[in-house]
Amino acid sequence: MRRVLRLYRPFAVAVGLVLVGLVLHPVADRVRGDERPAFDDVAAAEVTGAVSRGLVAVFSYEAGDVAATERAAAEVLQGPALRQYRVLFGQVKRQAPGQRVTLVTRVVRAGVVSLVGADARVLVFLDQTATRAGEPVGTPAAAQLVVTARRVQGRWTIQELRAV
Amino acid sequence: MGVKREAVVRGGDEKNGADEAVESAWRGALRAEGEEARPARKGGARGEPAGVRRARTRPRTRTLLAGWGLVGWGVVVAAFVFLVGSGWAAWRDDPGVQGPSGGRAAVLQAAERHIATLNSMDGAHVDAGLRGWLDATTGALHTQLRGDEASNRRKIGASGTDADARVTGAAVTSLDEAAGKAEVIAAVQVRLTLRGGEPTMQRKRFAAELVRTPQGWKLAALASVPVGAR
Repeated sequence: MRRVLRLYRPFAVAVGLVLVGLVLHPVADRVRGDERPAFDDVAAAEVTGAVSRGLVAVFSYEAGDVAATERAAAEVLQGPALRQYRVLFGQVKRQAPGQRVTLVTRVVRAGVVSLVGADARVLVFLDQTATRAGEPVGTPAAAQLVVTARRVQGRWTIQELRAV
Repeated sequence: MGVKREAVVRGGDEKNGADEAVESAWRGALRAEGEEARPARKGGARGEPAGVRRARTRPRTRTLLAGWGLVGWGVVVAAFVFLVGSGWAAWRDDPGVQGPSGGRAAVLQAAERHIATLNSMDGAHVDAGLRGWLDATTGALHTQLRGDEASNRRKIGASGTDADARVTGAAVTSLDEAAGKAEVIAAVQVRLTLRGGEPTMQRKRFAAELVRTPQGWKLAALASVPVGAR
């Protein structure tokens, strides 16, 4: 019996080593699987999509319906971004009906600068075209913004706008 | 005892590879055989009668290395190699070492630096500037800049261009770490001065492709993103 036990000793050591290795394997896989792809792709796509849609909504208006744009702004913008916007949009609201200007904003490119938890910064390239009623479509102008966004109750909102 | 000493000596050596570990383990096992073969063991730990111990000496040696014993230690070595290999693979790939965004941060940093370089030129040191352009690029862009080097030097000299660029915002839009390829967008402000003129500020926007090289991420393509393009 002792002899048999002694014979098992190297096997026991081997089995021990293999077990440690096998236990570490799935742990390493889970650590890798969890943190790597999930970070970038899903949340990044979400925030770039939300910010792009938001900017198009708040920086586009039709001469006859500035109220729709204002409603969009109240939904998408928060904090400093909303205050900034209200100052600018106050002028637009006064002038747009008289000048009958339509502004169309298009997102050309967008990408995540940084994304940590519920806070993100997004770089957005915009083309903005202003057209007066009855005149040919205006020449587009380029604008580049760094947008600070925050996820509030599952929804990405724009906190700050900075031209770069 | 032979096994133990060998392991300590080997363990102290930081550059000990898996092959050496195998070799060391084998040598340890072989040496153990020699020592076990010596009958004058000062044992008694198990409290066995002297006669029993003496009688056991031979068979014990055989069970350690001969027959199944040999296979047993072989399995130990194989398991050890497996463990070292797994440990190395896990350590090398551990996301905790770099952080989940480590790769992205490296791309962004390189992109910002290189895009600023390609939009800058110190009129007083054109050769150094052109060398900087080549250092920041790889692939097709590198080849193109090398081919255009002479004409670029002439143009810069003739216009007396002095440009100082700053990347004001940049974002990684795609990253394939396995393939070593990335795409970045960047907003740039350039302070441009032509000979004798007043400096003007220009805003530009770019889309860039980066490729990982042994010297880090470099620009393989750089194109301005035009206004009004569909």
